[in-house]
Amino acid sequence: MVPVLSLLLLTLLAGTVVTFLAGRRARWVALATSVGFLFETLWLLDSYTSWPGRSGALGVPQYSDGESYAWISVPWLHINYTVGIDGISLILILLTAFLQLATVVYCWTESRRPSAWFGLVLLTCLGSFGVFIALDVLLFFLFWEATLIPMFFMIGFWGGPRRRYAALKFFVYTHVASIVMLVALLAVVFYAHAASFDFSDIYIATHSSGFPIVTQAMLFLALFFGFGVKFPIVPFHTWLPDAHVEAPTGGSVLLAGLLLKLGGYGLIRWAVEVLPQGLAHTSWIVYGVAFASIIWGTVLSLSQRDLKRMIAYSSINHMGIVLLAIAVYSSLGLLAAVLLMFAHGVVSGLLFMASGSVHHTFGTRDIVTLRGITPRTPVLATMIMVGSLASLGLPALISFPAEFTALLATWDRLGYWVLLPLVILVVTAGFYLWMMQRVLFGPPQNIPEKAHDVDVYETAGMAILVALIILYGVLPGFLVNVIVNSPVYGFP
Amino acid sequence: MDPVSWTWFLPEAFLLGAALLVFLLDVLGVEKLEAFGAVAVGATALSLLAVVADLGFTPLSFLSTLPPSVVDSGGGATSLYAFSSLGLVFQGVFLSSALLVSLASLSRPSHEKGAAVFYGLLLMATLGMMLVAVSADLIFLLLAIEVTGIATYLMVGYTRKDARGLEAAMKFYIIGALSTALSFFGASLLFGAFGSTNLLVLSQGLGGISNHSLALVGYAFLIVGLGFKVTLVPFHAWAVDVYDGAPTDVSAFLAGGTKKMGVFAFFLVFIGPLSILTVRAVNCTGTVCIAPYDFRPTVELTLGLLAIVTMTLGNVLALLQKEMKRMLAYSSISQAGYMMIGIAIGTAPALAGATLQILAHVFMKAGAFLVVAGVSALGVGPLIAQYRGLGQRRPYLGVAFALMLLSLAGIPLTVGFVSKFILFSAAVQASTVAGQSFFFWLAVAGLLNSALSVFYYARVLKVMYMESPDASVPLDGPAGDPTGGLGYGRSAAILLAVVAIVALGVYPQPVFSAIQAAATHFVASGA
Repeated sequence: MVPVLSLLLLTLLAGTVVTFLAGRRARWVALATSVGFLFETLWLLDSYTSWPGRSGALGVPQYSDGESYAWISVPWLHINYTVGIDGISLILILLTAFLQLATVVYCWTESRRPSAWFGLVLLTCLGSFGVFIALDVLLFFLFWEATLIPMFFMIGFWGGPRRRYAALKFFVYTHVASIVMLVALLAVVFYAHAASFDFSDIYIATHSSGFPIVTQAMLFLALFFGFGVKFPIVPFHTWLPDAHVEAPTGGSVLLAGLLLKLGGYGLIRWAVEVLPQGLAHTSWIVYGVAFASIIWGTVLSLSQRDLKRMIAYSSINHMGIVLLAIAVYSSLGLLAAVLLMFAHGVVSGLLFMASGSVHHTFGTRDIVTLRGITPRTPVLATMIMVGSLASLGLPALISFPAEFTALLATWDRLGYWVLLPLVILVVTAGFYLWMMQRVLFGPPQNIPEKAHDVDVYETAGMAILVALIILYGVLPGFLVNVIVNSPVYGFP
Repeated sequence: MDPVSWTWFLPEAFLLGAALLVFLLDVLGVEKLEAFGAVAVGATALSLLAVVADLGFTPLSFLSTLPPSVVDSGGGATSLYAFSSLGLVFQGVFLSSALLVSLASLSRPSHEKGAAVFYGLLLMATLGMMLVAVSADLIFLLLAIEVTGIATYLMVGYTRKDARGLEAAMKFYIIGALSTALSFFGASLLFGAFGSTNLLVLSQGLGGISNHSLALVGYAFLIVGLGFKVTLVPFHAWAVDVYDGAPTDVSAFLAGGTKKMGVFAFFLVFIGPLSILTVRAVNCTGTVCIAPYDFRPTVELTLGLLAIVTMTLGNVLALLQKEMKRMLAYSSISQAGYMMIGIAIGTAPALAGATLQILAHVFMKAGAFLVVAGVSALGVGPLIAQYRGLGQRRPYLGVAFALMLLSLAGIPLTVGFVSKFILFSAAVQASTVAGQSFFFWLAVAGLLNSALSVFYYARVLKVMYMESPDASVPLDGPAGDPTGGLGYGRSAAILLAVVAIVALGVYPQPVFSAIQAAATHFVASGA
């Protein structure tokens, strides 16, 4: 059997190394790597028709394209290079591939140390890809941390005026969270007496009857904190606006599009699947945090004047809905969570690109002063409009099926509580419409003389995401069919 | 046990011979630093290969100096020395640090005054450390530590150029003498309690004696005396001034080498008593049975708390430093805390983790000091802020230094990550035993500290990569020099360290399984 996942990993790894060393030709290497990786991912998608099912009395999930080699093996410690995918990972890998390509194309004209820049972009995607395929605690943690360093440098070197503060804050917040996550995972392994650090062995250990519920609940909360900071959940969200506002556009795209998804994926795979009893006994905390994130994220988003800051805060709100969908713990909720993550990745990527272009073109991102940009920059205005409409959940665009499923799943489990996210969605929609009305369609104001429309590379980068928004908005079945083809899709 | 053969001590004899050769060459009027350096590099490299061969690395077996039957056979009740495989691992650690430092020092000015003294003392200090690793008797152990101690006091002040170096040497000497006195006092109390200073006798006698308070005081004095060597808080205050005042290559040796000697001394003195008490129940003589006095909770708690305090204080003070060498010195103190975690837990996995951490520390901390020495030779000042733009102006050196710092911070794919991962895993594993939940919090404290430490390492990275270079500093080195003013020796040492950091970080299995086997033997033979 062809070790497909290792091949994909190797593609990214080789591409990243060569990009770092390629000097002026770095962008071409990065482009070739991204295109190659995308085609490999599509091939993977094509070959993934069904999941291998579950095995044993405990129903241990099996994973597609699995590979496992011993890495560190001494009598008390068994760590393997174990990888494998299911529908959830596959969808997020697809997101990685598209966002990587879009970012490379969008940033084509980057002139400050292009080899380092494109290398870091690929490294971030490499780390995310690794997180999505890893089925061993050490391997997972390794890739998890590997996304931190490139983002630290991207913010800190290419970022805005307060970049150093933002980079450090980002690093410390997320690093402390990963430490907590690591302690919790180690405790799961040793307290449940798992045979190795592999996902399947941990699954067997935590699902056997001898593992006390109290321990499960405490460890689940620790994992929830560890993954939650990445989401980010209220009240640990304060790193996000700083990081986003200071980050260069490409960094913001990857941060919102990919790194936030690592939190969601980690929570599903390593917390909910491993410790379902833990979630069941602490679900009221998770619901509370989810509602708090949804409401507070919206309130903060509505009170911003800076376009980019507004989009950043709306991420908190959207990821809060993802958290809610995970917390309801049903197959419908899970489907919604993954769909939403994909949708948010694409839409926030587009919006961050667009706001980057706004800043680039007009020298400001101030919603209050900037008016009527459409006549001068029709292409950019179109992109903003598509992104905003998708973000507010217009039918036939990608977010609609995702948000609709999420609300349905919430209704199933929580009844009328669903009104809360629903009202919030309506308010957000109103706010987006107001923003578009002012920025895009009002009488032109404060438009600099030399402002001109986005260049061909920026357009192409955004066009890739627009195509995805429309394609999967009209035909969400493509995504749904893959997601439901997962072992984990056996929730109650 | 085979009859004693002098060939068992060939690696040690080799170092002694090399040291004498260096002093002889000096007397004969040789003034070239490279000559002394070549002798030192050759001797340490050859000894290192022999030690690796003794550990069972078959491709090198023709260099082996120990028959396999001698290793891990345990010493008798009267032995002065015993060859344990963990001791051999530590010999490897000591020799690696000596090799890195002697290699890097080849790039010091060719006619530097005192070069022979430096290299001769380096070899003597390494010899003392090698003897610590084969000790089976407390007095032999303390004397071996003294051999290293006296050599390193002199090394700190050998340039005789600046007042800071001399002050550091004086401080080091006084503190060293004090700690030796405390250790010997502890040893004499133990002799009073047990009638022997043999480590095996000590650990086997413990728990059976009625006069346990005498033994407890003796061990307390040893914790203090050896604690000075390992720079445990609150016995750490000398270390920063000494590391800061010493020539930077010597600091590399002190942090990367001699400190580890203290850690192994802790292993020898404390692991035996700690592990034996888990098997021994009640000691009966005649009709009188004495319930064993269980030292274990006391010792574990003491060492564990010392570990936490050392890690935390070292890290917090490192955060406040503005000078690179002082920051590295404080970070070295905090690293000693991580190593103490392994000793406090005392299980074979924890010892293995601590040993890997020690090996890692040689490459990352000694390596970092060697880079600092090279960079200051280029004319960069002592402040961290003066490293600005280093990563941009010297990409390769920058990446090397960055890797060392990332490894110290415990970032994946570096050896510093693997060693901490294993050490903390061992702590969590040990905590699953009933009544040992203290170890879980030890792991949490360690992990939180490593998160804290990321702060000050990241700050250096930030300065190196995100601030524009200072144009007035000649960072590029003299024109036409392919090493950019670092010299071939130093470049080779830095390269070696980086290769080790990455190789052990990516695939630690061969080295780690050897360490694990050695640690398992070590714990078992103490009982």
